[in-house]
This record gives sequence, structure tokens and C-alpha cells, in this order.
Amino acid sequence: MFNVKVALFAHTKELEHKIDELHDKIVEISMVFKKAVRLFLQEKRSLNYRKLSKEIKIIEHDADVLRRDIESSLYAQNLIPDFRGDVLELVENLDKVINEFDEVAHQFYIEDPDVPKIYHEQLKELVDEVCECAENLAFASRAFFKDFSAVRNYSKKVYLLEHESDKTTAKLKEAIFASDMELAHKLQLKTFLSEVADIADLAENCVDQLLIYVIKRDI
Amino acid sequence: MSLTYLFFLSSGLFLGWSLGANDVSNIFGAAVGSKMLKFKTAAFIASFFIICGAVFGGSGTTETLTKLGDVNALAGSFMVALSAAVTVYFMAKTGLTTSTSQAIVGGIIGWNLYTGKQTNITILLKIISGWVICPFLSAGIAILLYFTLKNLINKCHIHVLMQHQLLRLGLILSGAFCTYALGANNIANVMGVFVDSAPFESVKIGFFTFNPAQILFFLGGLAISIGIFTYSQKVMATIGTHLMKLSPFIAFVIVFSQAVVLFVFSSSTLQNALHTLSLPALPLVPVSSTQAVIGAILGIGLIKGGHGINWSITGKIVTGWFTTPVFTLIICFTCLFFLENVFNQIVFLP
Repeated sequence: MFNVKVALFAHTKELEHKIDELHDKIVEISMVFKKAVRLFLQEKRSLNYRKLSKEIKIIEHDADVLRRDIESSLYAQNLIPDFRGDVLELVENLDKVINEFDEVAHQFYIEDPDVPKIYHEQLKELVDEVCECAENLAFASRAFFKDFSAVRNYSKKVYLLEHESDKTTAKLKEAIFASDMELAHKLQLKTFLSEVADIADLAENCVDQLLIYVIKRDI
Repeated sequence: MSLTYLFFLSSGLFLGWSLGANDVSNIFGAAVGSKMLKFKTAAFIASFFIICGAVFGGSGTTETLTKLGDVNALAGSFMVALSAAVTVYFMAKTGLTTSTSQAIVGGIIGWNLYTGKQTNITILLKIISGWVICPFLSAGIAILLYFTLKNLINKCHIHVLMQHQLLRLGLILSGAFCTYALGANNIANVMGVFVDSAPFESVKIGFFTFNPAQILFFLGGLAISIGIFTYSQKVMATIGTHLMKLSPFIAFVIVFSQAVVLFVFSSSTLQNALHTLSLPALPLVPVSSTQAVIGAILGIGLIKGGHGINWSITGKIVTGWFTTPVFTLIICFTCLFFLENVFNQIVFLP
């Protein structure tokens, strides 16, 4: 009986570890993404960028494996039946953020857009905001599992950063459309900017749900 | 054990069966309904501990009931238990909160009145004070436990998954404790009136010697277990889904509070320990487990702002304190007359 209980706790610890790792993956992918965009602006579709893009792909793949493991373990161990659905939804949404990073990085590689130098700093600023937003989502989500009171603090940061990223995106789009570039070029850059900003939007949606889960779970 | 004895004992066994079907559902309903525990696991734990509680801890409350009225003839015991069972059945049908404890007290007083024996008023007041204190004490314990555990969880930053596992373990342990306490506290209702007419002899098994009352309590415990296995799943499903608005954490707080209340009203050891320390002890009286649960739920409801509390339920509790014993008394008194005069049964020994 005692062994069974110890084994049960060991399985739970393992699952806790996996959930932690999934959060680590968000932080990891956002850091690599930040580096990749900077590299792209310097070297465009170089071999180094390709390596970073591949690294992002690997992180995304690992996150997918973790997500599936977490989902099946939650059912197999019959854990948290009262709010398992919420946790599964949260895990899915975290994975969506990771997927978006991968998609944007891959898009840069495929389309190889020409970003004029005058927009580099603003684009870096946007990427920084978006990455920080995703990182804070990871912190908020991690706090959801361990320290409810901290979720609100991180969520606030996510909201602020998302708002900042919206402003930066709008400014950049305005500058791009005011320039004398070809319309096709303008539209291509606009699509890229929207996709980068989408990462922050996804993080914001995720935090919205997280806060509802916190209210639901508040004992 | 003759067939006649078994027939007369059947009313007590029926009361035990209904106790298993209903009262145990209050303990494990939320855990089973929220899928924190499987029904079979809950039923095995409940059966084992309720029998243990009945056999090893049932003497305290039985003594109190015997002091209230020493039902000394088998047919009389049969009628007291039957009238209690009938009242509980009909009161439950009308939706009033009722309890076997209150019903059996009414039955015993009915027997006392019929036989012209004196009802011990001091004991009666002791029992009634137990009923009144029970929901308030349960509410107090639930509030205290809720705040303590909530602060502990917030301070310790335990992972949600580990919290869940600990909670599951807590529900099992508190459920076991609670069923033990229920067995100890409520077996007197089921078998208490048959103690004087028990035809058994002491039995020695290993290190334990079981006296006739304990063998009777074992039979009562078995009847409760049958009630658990045959009917409580249905009731648990209803209670579980009904109580699902309460989280498993609150379910744990409620079950634990109920366990403590039932235990303090039935443990002779605790009473002796408190007396030794010159502290006031609660009387050893059978109390209503349902009212202990309601008390705990109201306590939690109050600290959550009191919204959504159905205050009419408190009215139903108070009504139950009077109506259940009075109805049982009337039924018992009337039926004893028929049993003695129409069926020629000895309902009391002078």
C-alpha cells in the first residue's frame, strides 16, 4: 500500500516536471526567436539563421511531445477531475503560442522578406515586447500551478506588453505605408508584422482564460 | 440465534441498512461524485471502518440511550426500532432533515410512556443539547479548518497536482475517520435498544474478546455495510452532483468537520481524557450526521459571504429536532398497544 502511494506521488512529480518543462519551452523558444530575428536582420537567410530556425523547430516538436504526455497522464492518473478540462485547454493554448513562434520563424526563412534598415530598430523593439509578453505568460501559467496570488501580477505584465506591441505594430505599419516602397512589399511586411504581433495576442487570450481559471479554482 | 430473534432484530437491521444507504453517502458523496474516489474503494473503506467504529466505539452512546430508557423485551425493542425506521422514511420523503438519532429517542420515550417507566429528564436534556450543539460545532470546526488549510496552501505553494493527490489521500483518511465515528456514534440508534435482549455469549478471537453487545453491534455494522453496497451508490451520485458546486477541498473540510463532531460525541476515551484535564466534555449522545454536514456547509457558506445560503434549511433542522421524536413517539406508543394486545407479544418486563 505504502509503495503504491509512493509510486503514485512519483508519477505526479514526473507530471509536474513535464508541465514545468513546457513552460521552460516557451521561455526558450522566445529567446531563440529574439536571437533569430536579430540575425535575420543582419544576415538574412544565412546558414546561421537556418540553424536557429531549426532549433526553434526542435523546441516546438519537444513541446508537442510534452503536451501529449501531459494530456494523456492527466487522464491515466485520473488527476484533478474537477478542472482537468481547464488545464488541458491551458496546455493547448500554451502550445499554440509556441507553434506561432515556429511559424513566424519559418515564414521569415521561406519568404526571406527585405526589411529596410530604417525599420530594424522598431522591429527589434516589437520582437522584444512580444517575446517578453510570451515569457510573462509562461510565468503566469507556472504560477497558476503553484502560487495563485502571483498569476495576477504576471497577467498584468502580459496585458501591458501586448498593448505596447500593438502600438509598436501600428507605428511600424504607418511608417511602412507612408514610405515609397512597392505596394506588394508593403503588404508583405504588414503581414509579417501582424504575425509577430499575433504571438502577443495569443498570449493575451491565454492569460484571459488563466484568470478565469483562477477565479474558478479560488477555494 | 433463533428465527424469532432474527425477525425482531430485522427492524434494527433495516434501520442500519437505511443508515448505510443515506448517512455514508454524506461522507463519500462529494468524493465519489467528483470522481476523486471510485465507489468500490469508498464502499470498502466505509464498510470496514463503520464496523470497527460500531464494535470498538459504540458503547458510549449506547449507554446514554440505555439510561434514557432500558428497553428490556425483544418485541418492545422491535417496535422502538421499527417506529424510528418508519418515521425516518416518511420524514425523508417530505424533505425534512431527519435523523435516526432523533427518531430512536422518540421511540424510547414512547416505550417509556407506554410501559409507565420514568424518562430520565437529565439524560433527555443532555441528548437534546447534543443535537443543538452538533450543527453549530460542525460549522465552527469547518470555518476553522477552512481558514487554516487555505492559509497553509497559500503559504506552502504546493503544486496543484500534488494538492490534488494530498486531497485525495485526505478524503480517504477523513472518510475512514468519519465512518469510524459514524459507526461509533450511530450504532446505538440501530442496535442500542436490542442490547438488553441480546442472546449471544462472549467470543474470543485472538487477542480480542467480544461481548454480546459487540457481537450485536457487529451485526448492525454488517447491515449498515449492506446498505452502503446496495443503495448508497445512487444516493452518492445524487449528492455528488448536487455538491459538485463545492470543490473537493471544501468536501474534505466538511467531511473532516463531520468526523470530528461525531467523534467528540461518541469517544469515551476523549471524554475521560478531558475530564482528567478538568476540561468540559461533550455528552456521549447519538447525533445526526446529516445535520453535522449541513452545519459545516452553512459555516463555509457564511464565511464566503452568506450568498446563496438557503436559510429555510436551518428552519428544517430545528423543526426536525421536535417533529422526528414526536412522530416516532406517537407511532411507537400506538403500535406497542397493538403489538401487546392484538399480537400478544411481551413488550416490556416489569
